Amino acid sequence: MKPIEEELRAALRKQEPPEGFAARVLARVNTRPTPQTAWWAPLRAFVRSPRWRWVAAAVAACLLLVAAVVYHRREQRMEAQGEMAKAQVMKALRIASVKLNIARRKVQEIDRSGPQS
Amino acid sequence: MEAALARWGRGESSAFVEIVREHQAMVFSMAYYFLHDRSVAEEIAQDVFLRLYRNLAGIKSPAHLMLWLRKVTSRRCIDEVRRNPARPQVSLEEAPEPFDPSPPSDPLLSRRLRRLVTSLPENARMVIILRFQEELELAEIAEILEIPINTVKSRLQRSLAMLREKLDTVLESAGDEAD
Repeated sequence: MKPIEEELRAALRKQEPPEGFAARVLARVNTRPTPQTAWWAPLRAFVRSPRWRWVAAAVAACLLLVAAVVYHRREQRMEAQGEMAKAQVMKALRIASVKLNIARRKVQEIDRSGPQS
Repeated sequence: MEAALARWGRGESSAFVEIVREHQAMVFSMAYYFLHDRSVAEEIAQDVFLRLYRNLAGIKSPAHLMLWLRKVTSRRCIDEVRRNPARPQVSLEEAPEPFDPSPPSDPLLSRRLRRLVTSLPENARMVIILRFQEELELAEIAEILEIPINTVKSRLQRSLAMLREKLDTVLESAGDEAD
């Protein structure tokens, strides 16, 4: 027996396709409209390419990180606004309490001096 | 082929037929030996030439054309197997032993080898086809499959060892039955 390399060369000799192959290709060329390339096609091809898949994964990870940071900052801002509103309410209550005390004292003074006059 | 490309460049669409006729055996055989199915091989070969028709303006030279055709055919074949994993594949273990008790004649051996090639993992299979059908150097195969040359080398060695081993088993069993 010949070496396997030679046997493979013999076994994998080129074969012609079935009769009329070129005509069938031409028929398909003439009937099939050239598809319009969608605007996202290059992007899809880029993402689908195994070689660049890791790039897409890295971009997705970065986007997630940015979204998380934005969300966290928004939460912090809302918390600070809440604290500020709470402080304002407390201050207003304190002022109202002082005013009420003043008014109560005045009323008491009037009550005390009223029957004498 | 350079003349056909030049004619295509001048707008002569008949040049495309010439290009198809020149390369149809290469494209069809690559697909056929990869998939072991004539109708699917023809479908893939047609797809490759349709794609070529749309991209022919970007082809610079006959060498570029050969590289482009081999690259696109390889990718299309590998994609076909990955897209249709249900397509019956012959595994090395499942590959039936010869039922003919006489030692295999050359055509039988060739048929046997083709079946064994189809049973290889898809990347190794394409390396074998490019090496022995297309008679390419390892560097050329590496360029077509976009893999390092050392990977090509190791896949080729591993595949040849597997094929040799299986073929020896086949021939031994054929010899035993003949005795």
